[in-house]
Amino acid sequence: MPDDPMDQAQAAIRLWTGVECPNAAGRRALDDFPALIAEFAALRGGLAFEDEPSAFEAVLREEKEPEA
Amino acid sequence: MSDLALLSVTEAAGAFAKGEASAEAMVRACLARIEAHDGRINAVVRLDREEALAAAAALDRARAGNAKLGPLAGVPMMHKDMYYRAGKVSGCGSAIRRDFRPKATATVLERLDAAGAIDMGTLNMAEFAQNPTGHNRHHGDCHNPWNLPYCTGGSSSGSGAGVAARFFAAALGSDTGGSIRLPASICGVTGIKGTQTRVSRAGAMPLSFSMDNVGPLTRTARDAARIMRVIAGKDPRDPTSAAEPVPDYEAALTGDLRGLSVAVPREWFFDGAEEAVVKAFEAALEVLKARGATVTRVSAPSLHAVGTYVSVVSRVEGATIHAEWMRERAGDYATHLSGRLYGGYAIPATWYVEALSRRGPLLRQFCREAFAGHHVVATPTLRMRVPTLAETDIDASPDNWARHMAVSANTRPFNYLGLPTVSIPCGFDDRGLPIGLQIAARPFAEARALMVADAFQRDTDWHACVPAL
Repeated sequence: MPDDPMDQAQAAIRLWTGVECPNAAGRRALDDFPALIAEFAALRGGLAFEDEPSAFEAVLREEKEPEA
Repeated sequence: MSDLALLSVTEAAGAFAKGEASAEAMVRACLARIEAHDGRINAVVRLDREEALAAAAALDRARAGNAKLGPLAGVPMMHKDMYYRAGKVSGCGSAIRRDFRPKATATVLERLDAAGAIDMGTLNMAEFAQNPTGHNRHHGDCHNPWNLPYCTGGSSSGSGAGVAARFFAAALGSDTGGSIRLPASICGVTGIKGTQTRVSRAGAMPLSFSMDNVGPLTRTARDAARIMRVIAGKDPRDPTSAAEPVPDYEAALTGDLRGLSVAVPREWFFDGAEEAVVKAFEAALEVLKARGATVTRVSAPSLHAVGTYVSVVSRVEGATIHAEWMRERAGDYATHLSGRLYGGYAIPATWYVEALSRRGPLLRQFCREAFAGHHVVATPTLRMRVPTLAETDIDASPDNWARHMAVSANTRPFNYLGLPTVSIPCGFDDRGLPIGLQIAARPFAEARALMVADAFQRDTDWHACVPAL
């Protein structure tokens, strides 16, 4: 396994999806990941055990503008 | 009017209904304008000249026979090249789908046809609707009619540029991270993305199925209201479409802002905002206040989480649906697109599910933060002045990535939140490029956002300015 985290990411992509890095822009797209990882780390603790994607449409209906 | 191409949607429909202008004359006026000027703007991908003239002639005969006319009868339109029409190529701005001929027509096109709109052809767009600037390697970049070296915004680049250039009265765009509102703002026109699930996506090219939206780009909020009434509503062909009743949006355009409360979040939308943008935005708030609205600065800390999660959802979903082509023919994508898609494969599934699972709770939190006692949220549509095509060209240099993605910083959050959001022009910068005002409302309150936009346009004429071509 490569030592560089971005090389590791490329190896993981190849292993899991069979997609190769297409160009320098692909490599550049991975450069954002340390910042994204830090952003996700800052959000830890926000997810409740019962949260699930299907709640979204229910909240759309719940949060409608009250009837005048 | 000497040039019928200058008519808005409601003006064109009104002129046709009253017999003041024929559909054929309106189509010919638009065709003439396209043929005279599109060589420099590059908004049009395919012009269906003869079919449009035949459709117009049929409408003229129908009117002469006193047939019942639809609300868009005689209105010339063109659409982003990602709405399927059976048997017609829908290239999606790509090389990969350059010969793709769908078997069924998109529900939104069927609804526009039934309302009497005339479809003149297809428009340039970002490849697979995947960039916020409108760059397109395959068809050539679309140019801003206000200043040609500047970008149009994307992904609905031809829709924004063409409406601004008065090539047609209105166009469909699509909006997953701002792709209607950005070209609307950057080209100086009006654009609306409805509540998530409000408009059917059946027969529309997918990008990110959780956040894709269909909507119009128009000259005015009234035009957008007319079109939204036609295209919104439940569609059996799109099981995700909402069953909420569709109101008469035009009836809501009262111009009366007395008692209206506008919230302006302190967070996110002004981070690094340029002075010209802030100045135009603050002036726009004064216009709303003069009509009776109150403006309150609010705190909405949920926006930071929203900003993180939104990029994960669109990147993963986009990467997933493009995986076969990324394995087999990645070289057929533009460099910036294959690069962007590639990054999506590195995102863990647990992040993606977390981002979707937090969507409902964060929408609820944002509504409590921003809409408690307030009717709409106002922000600048972009934080920055309009960039040039060269400044945001990732194919030329990956170093342009940050500026490229910064274009959509203020529009993306409303896709994650699923809220109806309008962009209208509210000024020009020192280089003569438009600046946009973004207005968001609670879920399914498109009428509220359009009402505020229409009231603003009653007291300003930014939307009526026409670029010198």
